[in-house]
Amino acid sequence: MKLNMVGCTHRATNLEVRQLLAFSDEQATRALHKWQQRQPDTEMVLVATCNRVELYASTTLQERDQGNGDENGGAEQGEFPNSLIQALLDFHQVPHERVAGQLISLSGQEVVDHLYHVTTSLDSMVIGEPQILSQIKEAYRRAQNCGSAGPMMHNLFQSALRTAKRVAGETSLHKHHVSIPSVAIADFASRVFERLDDKRVLVIGAGEMAEETLRYIRDTGASQIHVVNRNADRGKTLAARWSGSYHPWSELEAQLTTADLVISTTGATESIMTARRYHQRVAPHRHGRVLFILDLAVPRDFDPDMGNSLGVYLYSLDDLSAACKRHQEARQQELPAAEKIIRQETNRFVVNAHHRLTASVITGLRHGFEQPKKAELQRLFHKLPDLDEPTREEISRFADRLVNKILHPPMQSLREASQNGTPHGLLDAIKRLFQLQD
Amino acid sequence: MNHTEIMGPGVQIVCFAASYLIALTLEITGLWTRTAWRRPLVIGITLAGLVAHTWYLGRRVGAAPTAPLASQYDWFLAAAWLVVVVTLILWFYIPRSPAGIFLLAVVLALIGVSKFASTTPLASFQAPRFWGMVHAVCLMLGTVVVICGFLAGIMYLWQSYRLKNKLPPGDRFRLPSLEWLERVNSRALGISTLLVGVGFITGVLGRLVHGGDQAFVPWTDPVVLSLAAMFGWLMVAEIFRLVYPAARQGRKVAYLTLAAFVFLLITLASVTLLDQVVHPGLGTATKGATGKEIGLPSHLAQKLAERPGRSS
Repeated sequence: MKLNMVGCTHRATNLEVRQLLAFSDEQATRALHKWQQRQPDTEMVLVATCNRVELYASTTLQERDQGNGDENGGAEQGEFPNSLIQALLDFHQVPHERVAGQLISLSGQEVVDHLYHVTTSLDSMVIGEPQILSQIKEAYRRAQNCGSAGPMMHNLFQSALRTAKRVAGETSLHKHHVSIPSVAIADFASRVFERLDDKRVLVIGAGEMAEETLRYIRDTGASQIHVVNRNADRGKTLAARWSGSYHPWSELEAQLTTADLVISTTGATESIMTARRYHQRVAPHRHGRVLFILDLAVPRDFDPDMGNSLGVYLYSLDDLSAACKRHQEARQQELPAAEKIIRQETNRFVVNAHHRLTASVITGLRHGFEQPKKAELQRLFHKLPDLDEPTREEISRFADRLVNKILHPPMQSLREASQNGTPHGLLDAIKRLFQLQD
Repeated sequence: MNHTEIMGPGVQIVCFAASYLIALTLEITGLWTRTAWRRPLVIGITLAGLVAHTWYLGRRVGAAPTAPLASQYDWFLAAAWLVVVVTLILWFYIPRSPAGIFLLAVVLALIGVSKFASTTPLASFQAPRFWGMVHAVCLMLGTVVVICGFLAGIMYLWQSYRLKNKLPPGDRFRLPSLEWLERVNSRALGISTLLVGVGFITGVLGRLVHGGDQAFVPWTDPVVLSLAAMFGWLMVAEIFRLVYPAARQGRKVAYLTLAAFVFLLITLASVTLLDQVVHPGLGTATKGATGKEIGLPSHLAQKLAERPGRSS
């Protein structure tokens, strides 16, 4: 299998080198066009995310031209992978010494196994994160648009996407949320509220975490967003960005009275709401209505004792972090099942690839027998013109059966041999024995 | 004539009870192991049980038109049938809800209680058939609604406890949201008040109008007393809920429905164990009180008094 991957990942490469080799969308497109012009016989897909830059390539050149050509993996340092590394470095004009020992180079089955790990997010910094799948799809689509993806890359990436789908469907790896906002909404808010589109969301403070949480809440349909912030400018900006309304800090109690869901991320050094103040000023007006509070501030914005109040469900950053940790552990437990699927799919891909390589020999073999069969039948029917149609058909079928039976042993041997790699020796022998052309 | 002749070959109480028991067992085992075929299998088995259950009740009606609510025995089985229907509807709307575990347990409890209930026709059926049916149907529906409200209340308190203690949602046991449970609780309280009220009042009026020489309401009778207490409680709870805004939300509604269920249990216990006056002949099937004594044609009274495991 003439398949290679070179590049850098967060596991093998430090951040400095990753930044040196990073590609923007526009750069990736330009690079693919450039490389395609230089190496028209090579199929390429460039996967560039914040954690990895990986160039997948397959060439139609003969393996003897590729240096060692170890098709079953191993850190191949042949001419072809070196040319790929050089292409990456040249594009960014990075000297080889800057990245020495930081790049990875894989070939053959290792490439398949690695891509499957990447696509299923098993190789991600946060295992199970969903973004990588869309990034892989985008990388493949870009290569298609640039004309640098051919049949081999098509098979490879389609099978990678199928593997990711299997892992998502057959394991619960992706069902466990691991980010604070997603856990807050999926694990807790969804158990309090049936729907969020009719709920009043109050954001206190304009912290980064508030915005990230708002993104999740917005995805669930929430539209009534109210922002209370000490700094009016920042508060108004945040409110405008999320089509919400801004309220001055003096309205905090009034807003708490009417809110259903609160996200608090202020930088206050003391609680902005004590349990006593809540019971005296807010609770009497809420009439026991449920209030869900995400206190994402450090130190806390809400007095922990407020969590004991009737109808108040108060979650701090620590509570949510603990839930995230549980989910990460749950994901770890799903890893063996995911790895099993990857092994199955890798084997399937490799066997299919080897079959495809032997296909030309099998076709040639069949073709080599078909020609003399047809010629001999023609000669026979010419000599025996009185044969009726059923007899002719029976003779034709006899000839077909004979050819099939003669071809069966070599084809069976080819199929069996290709289970463990491309049977170059056997293919050469068959080609020479039956004088097959390439 | 034995019960097999009446119910048809093969369709006995054990058929559908076993189906529900298997479905409940599968639901419970689903808490530990979940497979793709489990849910369709549970629904299939429950549906099979429901078909057998319907067939059984249908045969009862065929045997005696006053069934399926003419005796305590029929009344419990009809209530169980209704709870099964509610279970299936819930599975359809909230597929991952564990409500089936609670509801199927209630179904089996109702079927179990029916084994101890009298098969003798209720005295209410001495009243014109329409009002007798209104009385029985309303009380049965009210019972089912109170049970549903109780289960929603239990689930509310459970979910609330888990949320307060920051416990993660179970992968296999996912309770409905507090908002949904609160809505079910509130509606259950309002609807059950209405149904129990209509059932109670039609029973009283039926007794006063058509009671003949017994045209009075025995207020000291445990059945009348417990049902009146239950109705009174539901009325107070509903008024409290309407007047006091805090009682419309959260745990307070759940507590109100739990209390309503306690009243229901007392009422059902009174009806099953102590009823001798309001529904003459109840609990006296073995003593010889029959449908014939309360004016039913002899062949209907005999058929009504039959049930599996009891010779006629």
